[in-house]
Amino acid sequence: MRSGIALGVSRARRSRILAGFACVAVLFASGCRKPIERQAVVAIEYSISPQPVRIGPVVLSVKLRDAAGKPVSGARVGFEADMSHPGMTPVFGEAQEVAPGQYQGSLEFAMAGDWVVLIHVTLPDGRTLGREVSVPGVTTN
Amino acid sequence: MQVPGLRRLFHWRHLRTVLQIPLLIVSVAMILDGLLGPSLAPKNLATTLSWVHFRGALVLVLLCAGNFFCLACPFMLVRNVARRFFHPRLNWPQKLRNKWLSVGLFALILFCYEEFSLWSSPWWTAWLIIGYFSAVLMVDGLFKHASFCKFVCPIGQFNFVASTISPLEVKVRDLDVCDSCATKDCIRGRRAPGPDLVVVQRGCELALFQPLKVGNMDCTFCLDCVHACPHDNIGILSRLPASELMVDPRRSGIGRFSQRKDLAALGIVFSFGALLNAFGMVSPVYALENWLAGILHVNSEAPVLGVLFALFLVVEPAVLLGLAAWLTQIWGGSRRALLPLAVRYTYGLVPLGFGMWLAHYSFHFLTGLYTVVPVAQSAAARLGWTVFGSPRWTWLGIPMRFVQPLEIGFLVLGLAGSLLVIHELAVSDCAERPLRAFTPWAAVALVLWVAAIWMMFQPMDMRGTFLAG
Repeated sequence: MRSGIALGVSRARRSRILAGFACVAVLFASGCRKPIERQAVVAIEYSISPQPVRIGPVVLSVKLRDAAGKPVSGARVGFEADMSHPGMTPVFGEAQEVAPGQYQGSLEFAMAGDWVVLIHVTLPDGRTLGREVSVPGVTTN
Repeated sequence: MQVPGLRRLFHWRHLRTVLQIPLLIVSVAMILDGLLGPSLAPKNLATTLSWVHFRGALVLVLLCAGNFFCLACPFMLVRNVARRFFHPRLNWPQKLRNKWLSVGLFALILFCYEEFSLWSSPWWTAWLIIGYFSAVLMVDGLFKHASFCKFVCPIGQFNFVASTISPLEVKVRDLDVCDSCATKDCIRGRRAPGPDLVVVQRGCELALFQPLKVGNMDCTFCLDCVHACPHDNIGILSRLPASELMVDPRRSGIGRFSQRKDLAALGIVFSFGALLNAFGMVSPVYALENWLAGILHVNSEAPVLGVLFALFLVVEPAVLLGLAAWLTQIWGGSRRALLPLAVRYTYGLVPLGFGMWLAHYSFHFLTGLYTVVPVAQSAAARLGWTVFGSPRWTWLGIPMRFVQPLEIGFLVLGLAGSLLVIHELAVSDCAERPLRAFTPWAAVALVLWVAAIWMMFQPMDMRGTFLAG
């Protein structure tokens, strides 16, 4: 007994379809890499304290330096912390400039687990920079 | 169904395709965003939709209605299109006509979820979806009927087991009509007259003959039987949830539950896997993993996870179910041997397992309900579509304080369902001393329920690896 919907398809057409599938697969495999980020002209250094990171408030310090190594003042620095699991509550914070080119702000990790902190920087000339910081294994107190 | 309009809707030939097309579009969007979009899981459609919205909506639809996700399965749409060009010639191998392969795949997916932290990887999530599409095309491209759905698909097996709790079922309206039916189109399908015997309407591809079908096990709600029946005698009808677990008749395409060790194994992975999957997201699991790593003298997660899975999915069920079966034998006076007893009562734990899946997945779904909005806005913005505005990352979901009581409610509901099923099985097994047969299994259900409640009050801890912490 035959099953399925019987429609006549020639061998040549099947081959073309198979070739089409193969091309799409190759395109997927080769073309889905992320573009390499352009080198930022401003270096972002960061630190988180206290270490090891636990649930509760943490202090994030960010230093911005230009290509010549000079501190970059007058930038706007914001933080966003996400858990590695989607659907969880993100945490937001803003940093204040505490010294030329040095910014400090706080975040509160509400849950144990792996976090990722996004540092969003808006330079005085309006350019924006970002840095993704992995904070694995935030533990309970 | 007696709801006005719904009967006509379910009889509409193109209903399935119309439901599948949007899900196929969403699946393609998830694959593309997973491969090309942000690597951070909460910002990506693949991870957000897969691990927050799909799973949560799935269990809630199964609880409130039935296996409608299999009805709308986008993989089957692709398969049906492919089958216009490729006609499978082979029958699924006789030795694999059981659930053992799919039980293994189900356990493997749970293992990979932990081992590769799938929830945190858009890339792997996208490849999982691609892998699924490929597997469907390969299996159903080679083998006739719905071999993938019935014997391979781990999501399908999850849906089959969970839908035993659902309030809706595809079934015959009037068995007398079936008795007088000469064509049996519901299983055979309809073919155009002529030498080619072209199929114009499929019958059940999962070998479920409607007059002898009992319950939702193996039913994908594809509605082929509804369309095939020349007497309009099959519909989506309501029933008592979990009632199919309380009886043990010979079921079309399945046989007796009590004689299916593979189905019982599926029930075990479903029920105990629910606890294991939730346990993987609370703090104590890392202490246990570290302890195990110390004992095993290993630094990688895979062997530790392997031991943990063996403990939770093999040793724990063997001990608990074996002990309960033994007590039922010596105390309740059941004449069945240990293994058949364990197989029979395993199905009693399915409602509890479903309660745990519900509590877990609905937690993520409800607390992250609106997160799909900014993720979709962000994906649209990357394509240059600014009409949806800038992403509202502060959109989350229902506050935890409202969701947690609901979770407890789901667990209580699961326990109540399990106790009810176990009681009915005990009454039919040991009519003279049903309480003695009931007690050991009720104790097992209670132990698992206490474990589930304990887990729910543990601090959440979602780490990619215990070695990092």
